[in-house]
Amino acid sequence: MRWRDPVFVGLILALTPIAAASEETGVSVRDAWVRETPRGVAMTAGYMVLQNKTSRPQVLVAARSSGFETVTIHRTIAKEGMTGMEHAPQIELLPNASLLFAPGGYHLMLSNPKRTLRAGDRVDITLEFRGGLVLPVAYEVRK
Amino acid sequence: MMTTVVLAAILGAVLLAAVYRENGSRAILLPDQVMTLFPAPKPLAAFVFIDHENRVFDLSRLKGKWSFLFFGYTHCPDICPTTLATLARAHENIAKSRAGAKDVQFVFISVDPNRDTAGKLRQYVTYFDAAFLGVTGDNAQLGNLAGQLGVAYQLAITPGIENYPVYHTTAVFLVDPRARYHAVFAPPLDAEGISKRFKVLRELEGPKAT
Repeated sequence: MRWRDPVFVGLILALTPIAAASEETGVSVRDAWVRETPRGVAMTAGYMVLQNKTSRPQVLVAARSSGFETVTIHRTIAKEGMTGMEHAPQIELLPNASLLFAPGGYHLMLSNPKRTLRAGDRVDITLEFRGGLVLPVAYEVRK
Repeated sequence: MMTTVVLAAILGAVLLAAVYRENGSRAILLPDQVMTLFPAPKPLAAFVFIDHENRVFDLSRLKGKWSFLFFGYTHCPDICPTTLATLARAHENIAKSRAGAKDVQFVFISVDPNRDTAGKLRQYVTYFDAAFLGVTGDNAQLGNLAGQLGVAYQLAITPGIENYPVYHTTAVFLVDPRARYHAVFAPPLDAEGISKRFKVLRELEGPKAT
């Protein structure tokens, strides 16, 4: 009997919490990338599509990474004919909606990378939501 | 209303495409959202900057070439690298055209001279395109050229904060080979939009602009 196969049962037990967690939270990220930096440059930005497939709002409150001195949720804004940035302390994701982090809009401002980022590298950033949901995301460095 | 705007934009693009020919003898430019052309280009007055090789960059360096000018700062994580990457692609497009890019230069003007030294600027601009120039100057000189082009900028310097933000105009300014402010490209910018219009403009202005 297949169910008695300890390896098979072990596999199911191992996979169950992951499947449950993602179904329960329903918050995911796709197309996550970080802009490659010129050597010696202190700042770059991270972009992604944040998806909330749950039926309630989700609030992004912080982003952290050991690869940078600071990670801040930012938004590029227009002000008196100029463009600048403002800190976005929290971003609410509507139920069953996506939010685009893209050049010229929302972005993760990443300061003082611990190493020079080259296209193809991977950067790990953890997104934290209100209520304790934590989402680790792998960002691809792109030119 | 929206439909009319979209239709007008599509029509504009079609007309521009229709009149634009690499080897055509006649071309016309129609006003659109991407590029604003000045019927009477404005001659620029003297200014003095230092470029990323520590050479003087003054009004004379704008003569004999078409110059694309962009104001920003290297600690800028979003708009500046996005715009410089777009301009690098526009440069590539122009270089591939029949007339090439020998008479074209791209100049990144840092409004943040405290942090952007010549060395920093060199590393920064040449990363996007080996031919790009990075320049900066003191506040009086930056204010001088910014004022002539209608550029606004504001450094939000906060004591103790190393990564202070800077507010700045993000349009790209086109200065003709007679050092006259000739046109402006409004954001959001795309490389094709810039290079197509520039090639037509250069063809039209070529003989009289130099």
